Amino acid sequence: MKSHSVKVLIISAFVFFVNLLYSQQAKLTFAPQWMPQAQFAGYYIAQEMGFYKEAGIEVEFIHPSANIPATELLSSGKADVISLFLVTGMSSRSQGMDIVNICQLSQHSAIYIVTKRSSGIDKLEKLEGKKIGVWKSGFDEVPKAMMKEKRIGVEWIPILSSVNLFMLDGIDAMTVMSYNEYNNIINCGINEDELNVFPISQYGYDIPEDGLYCLNSTYETKREDLKNFITATLKGWDYAAANKAAAIDIVLSRMKSAHIPANRVHQEWMLDRVLEMMMVSASDVKGKGVQNRSIRNRSVQNRSVQNSSFQNKRVRKGELLESDFDQTAKIIKSISEKRVSFAFDEFYKPLNY
Amino acid sequence: MKKTTLSYHIIKNVLFFCIALFLVTFSVYYYFARKTIREDTRENSVYLAKTTINKIEQVLTLAEKNPQIIARMLESSFVSKDSLIPFLKSMLSVNSSLYGSIIAYEPNIFPEHGVYFAPYVYRQGDTICSSVLGDINYEYFYMDWYQIPKITNEPYWSEPYFDEGGGNVLMTTYSVPFYTQINGKRTFTGVVTIDISLEWLTKIISDVKILNSGYAFLLSRNGVIISHPNSEYIMNQTIFTIAKENDQPGMRETGRKMISGESSFRAAEFKSEWKPGKLWINYAPLPSSKWSMGIIYPEDEMFASLHRMNIILVVLIIAGLISLSVVISKIVSNLTSPLKDFADSARLIAAGNFNVKLPEIKTEDEMKELHNSFSFMQKELDEYMATLKETTSAKEKIESELRIANEIQMSMIPHIFPPFPDLPQIDLFATLKSAKEVGGDLYDFFIIDGSKFCFAIGDVSGKGVPASLFMAVTRTLVRSISDNVHSPLAIMESLNRSISQNNDSNMFVTLFLGVLDLKTGELQYSNAGHNPPVLIRKRGEAIMFEKTKFIPAGLFEDFKYGESSIQLEPGDKLFLYTDGVSEAENSQGELFGEQAIMQIITNNITARPQELIDKMSEEISGHVNGYTQSDDITMMTIVYNG
Repeated sequence: MKSHSVKVLIISAFVFFVNLLYSQQAKLTFAPQWMPQAQFAGYYIAQEMGFYKEAGIEVEFIHPSANIPATELLSSGKADVISLFLVTGMSSRSQGMDIVNICQLSQHSAIYIVTKRSSGIDKLEKLEGKKIGVWKSGFDEVPKAMMKEKRIGVEWIPILSSVNLFMLDGIDAMTVMSYNEYNNIINCGINEDELNVFPISQYGYDIPEDGLYCLNSTYETKREDLKNFITATLKGWDYAAANKAAAIDIVLSRMKSAHIPANRVHQEWMLDRVLEMMMVSASDVKGKGVQNRSIRNRSVQNRSVQNSSFQNKRVRKGELLESDFDQTAKIIKSISEKRVSFAFDEFYKPLNY
Repeated sequence: MKKTTLSYHIIKNVLFFCIALFLVTFSVYYYFARKTIREDTRENSVYLAKTTINKIEQVLTLAEKNPQIIARMLESSFVSKDSLIPFLKSMLSVNSSLYGSIIAYEPNIFPEHGVYFAPYVYRQGDTICSSVLGDINYEYFYMDWYQIPKITNEPYWSEPYFDEGGGNVLMTTYSVPFYTQINGKRTFTGVVTIDISLEWLTKIISDVKILNSGYAFLLSRNGVIISHPNSEYIMNQTIFTIAKENDQPGMRETGRKMISGESSFRAAEFKSEWKPGKLWINYAPLPSSKWSMGIIYPEDEMFASLHRMNIILVVLIIAGLISLSVVISKIVSNLTSPLKDFADSARLIAAGNFNVKLPEIKTEDEMKELHNSFSFMQKELDEYMATLKETTSAKEKIESELRIANEIQMSMIPHIFPPFPDLPQIDLFATLKSAKEVGGDLYDFFIIDGSKFCFAIGDVSGKGVPASLFMAVTRTLVRSISDNVHSPLAIMESLNRSISQNNDSNMFVTLFLGVLDLKTGELQYSNAGHNPPVLIRKRGEAIMFEKTKFIPAGLFEDFKYGESSIQLEPGDKLFLYTDGVSEAENSQGELFGEQAIMQIITNNITARPQELIDKMSEEISGHVNGYTQSDDITMMTIVYNG
């Protein structure tokens, strides 16, 4: 592990000196939609490995908090580019923010609804009248729309971020991200076979998640810089897929400097799941001269719910499908009674094609 | 074969037994000692866990009291909302373990304060500050410390967290829900919390010293590491992530038991990256916060005293076995040293020294008995040897006399061949080989009446000295009788009469007596019970005489013998023999037989007398093949040359 850190340090130092030579570089501020974690490994790597520098841009990272969402950072001008769920991006636009999607990284939904097997809730329908924990700060639209469309009446309990209420049986079910809260529950000592898992992707709601957004005005003025940013970011993700251990080292050091509890096992899990949703694997980046140094081969937890359950999508890297756009528009209408009044090509402005 | 000593055998067997005994004893001892140590450790460990947990509980339960009392007061409306902050401040000022306290209300309880109302008092350095929390950026309703007691209706110890404002101190919050009567219904109104630092707790845990390198650790309700000698783990890892990272399913199971509130002392079913080697673990829950404390015992240290004892024991036992061997060897060699002397004495006695001095035995035991037996044997042997000497000299005397007798006997019969160099008509050869020193066979020949050749061959009954004396008498009688009468019948009858008289010992003699007229070649003969001789004609034909019907001489005084005659041609031969030839016996009891005699004669039909007899002797020797000769062997061959 240490060798990776040393390597990263040496490369960073090298990049720093190269940076001194290039004085005039375009600046971009990027805000992922959450705290540092492996969900954003590709961005950190692109920065640490100097991919942004090579692309001629200087990227600054700012992170939102539980109370200040990324959209606010964008609208206030603190961030030029942010990472958002598709549904959040479209909702924001329909609420009047003039934002555009410039790259759709994730192609699948990572949202599960989990119950404890001891609760006896083994079918979605049995959630009728039950308390379900859901993120207070967003990501709630798709599960809510799904339950509404399936006419299952549940009591939604907004939760900030922990799984404690679920652990203490304060709620009957909880919406979790496959890459995050789901594994948190496992890491609190509940075995996978003690959980019933309902991945919403299997109920017809495989809505893409993380994508890159900017204000339309930024898109117009900094198109070239944004394009460079996307290219370097995708390179960062490819590198992460091929060098998971190094990627995790970088993520962990970011987490430590942000004073967030940092756990390698959890971040490894997260990186694997996020890469699955982006449909990027080490095999995708073969032949690019990047040696695959895969993570130590650990016994993977019983992954009853896997990427195999995802429907294969015919999609290019970074592409947003119009069908996904349409389905998301329906979801927004279903939960907020607001029509999505903008067209697909107004919203999706790909820069990497 | 390797020479071994008695003490070697005894030591080998005793040591083998002792080692087996030791192994059994040692195993039993080890098993029970280990069990005892395990039990002692368990007791100590349980006690240690109990006292440590009590120490922690004292602080935690004391801390629980404050918000519980405040919650009661708020439910009873003792305190007005404006005095909440001064009230909390005074509480903090008297209770130095408290870092902060919040009374947080449900939305819109006090309309004048809007949605949020949460007076907060906290320590900053030495001063106690206050503020009112809650706004759109701090929606405390959704925070664990508020939401969990609200939903579960129970006080709640939060998962530990790092306080970002207060210098990154590990903190935990205790929240107590309180209720008021609204429209006659007990309704949840808010939460009282206190924040306490966990530094003291970490200290208590890290002060727990177990053996050399054992240690204690603390898990939160979710299995998060709150306290551990490896600070990297604290708050970053749960026991379950460590278990996964190190691929230790046993650790995960132990973690699950711990956070479910179980307590146990057992061999850990996992290996730790942090603490190598086999481990034992004791765990017990903290009743208030539902956290769990674990105490790790390295097995090698746990049983270190036992292993030390084992080494001492093994060294002692080896030393004991060695000294035991030395002592046994001494005792055995003391006990058995006379045996060696006895062995030497026996060797000397065997060599003939009967008066050798026996080893001195002072004890009255088996060795003494052996000594007595030895000296008895010495005495007996001595006496026996004396007797033997006498007997031997007597025997030697007899033997020498017998030898002389044999010489005399042999000198009686003619043994110079050819006997009559002046008589070309006759040629002969004869041998007598006695079975004992003196024999009972005889042969003789002489010239009577100027031109007659008289010959006789006989066999006296019995053997030895009596037979030889009888033979001497017979020979003398034949010679003397033939001086007066010349026919074989007359000689035979006269001889019979003479030896039959006064024959008290009933001895007899078979005898073939022949008188050959050298001028005519006529052979007259009389046979008294003797083996029939063989006539070998010159023309190459061998005929055995008829068996005689006359009894041996010396039995009946008046027995009438007969006489026969046969015409010999020049060159004819006669072969005469005694039953020592025909009845020569080999080791299988097979007799030589007359057929063999005839066969040999036929094969050597033209042999000269001595050649024939030598050949016959040779064949007899071949037949008996070294078997003891039982009877005298006498042969005689006569050639009539005409």
